[in-house]
Amino acid sequence: MNCPMESRENAQLLVDYCAGKLDPEWEARLDGHIATCAACGEFARRQRAVWEALDGWDAAPVSADFDRRLYRRIEAQVSWWDLLVRPFRSPLGTVTPRRTLAGAAAACLLLTAGILLERPAISPAPAPNEMAQVDTVQPEQVERTLDAMEMLNEFSHHVRTEGSGSKL
Amino acid sequence: MAERVKTDIGKAAAALDLDTELMVRLKEGDGASFGVLLEKHRLSVVHFLYRMVQNYAVAEELAQEVFLRVYRSRSTYEPTAKFTTWLFRIATHLALNALRDGKNERLQERLDDDTSDMPVRQVSDRRPSVEQSMVYQAKLDEIRRAIAALPEKQRAAVLMHKYEEMEYSQIAKVLSCSESAVKSLLFRAYEALRARLAHMA
Repeated sequence: MNCPMESRENAQLLVDYCAGKLDPEWEARLDGHIATCAACGEFARRQRAVWEALDGWDAAPVSADFDRRLYRRIEAQVSWWDLLVRPFRSPLGTVTPRRTLAGAAAACLLLTAGILLERPAISPAPAPNEMAQVDTVQPEQVERTLDAMEMLNEFSHHVRTEGSGSKL
Repeated sequence: MAERVKTDIGKAAAALDLDTELMVRLKEGDGASFGVLLEKHRLSVVHFLYRMVQNYAVAEELAQEVFLRVYRSRSTYEPTAKFTTWLFRIATHLALNALRDGKNERLQERLDDDTSDMPVRQVSDRRPSVEQSMVYQAKLDEIRRAIAALPEKQRAAVLMHKYEEMEYSQIAKVLSCSESAVKSLLFRAYEALRARLAHMA
């Protein structure tokens, strides 16, 4: 076989070999090659050393209260949705289509109000260095907007599900 | 080269089916399925995040966010990819954001610490001597520093390849790049690690 060290693509074979990820046929081929090729032998020795060193990096067990904290967060979120949807529920606990529309309108109103409140007051065009500062906060704003969209999406799904339930 | 690498397709397909089935059940309102998914993937997600940000508190906080996002997305979930690909995509995205936001600014401080937050090695019959503990901590510190010195994407690729035993194709999907880009990332990462850690043999 050609020496795997001749190209980067094939050198990756040696990494797979040291990780024990090669199929038996290729493993045997490389065994044979490494026995006669000093460069590949050295590469394999060093790569195995890295692999074994990384094996020694244990990670600690997860905190005992991890699940409890997570479920508390989930519950808090569900309760939040319940609070939001509660005004639009009929006395029987279902959401009527008319109430659904009212709910969607209210959600849109809330979102619009939120966006307007978040918007800074109109001011003269900022100097170039101020614009650079604005650029740096954009990822957080995008993250917040995505979260808001995700919540709205879930809200509409929630409302839709309950709406279809009420039709039945 | 794919055919040269061992693949356990049957096992992977079974896992894919189980995780996907659990997510579909969760979507249909079976809350217990979320518990099964959490139990199955909690440890690997926390450990991956810990090795990425090298801070237990931050890693657990990020892992909570990962599972919270999984739960929140249950209604819109579509089984178009392997569940773990999606899961680690969320985890990697959050870890990279945290690293960029400086949430791990205590990282260097931690590395310089006496590594008091590190796991205690369980030795069944006898306790390690002080000297053994010191050698172990020194080696661990060196490994952590070597991993921390890697560029973020290389670090994520190595951790998924080494500890999650993911195939190149899956790592590529998690990192949204081509398989050849993953191989290149891994080659450069291991090259750097060989330079720093090969003497530990």
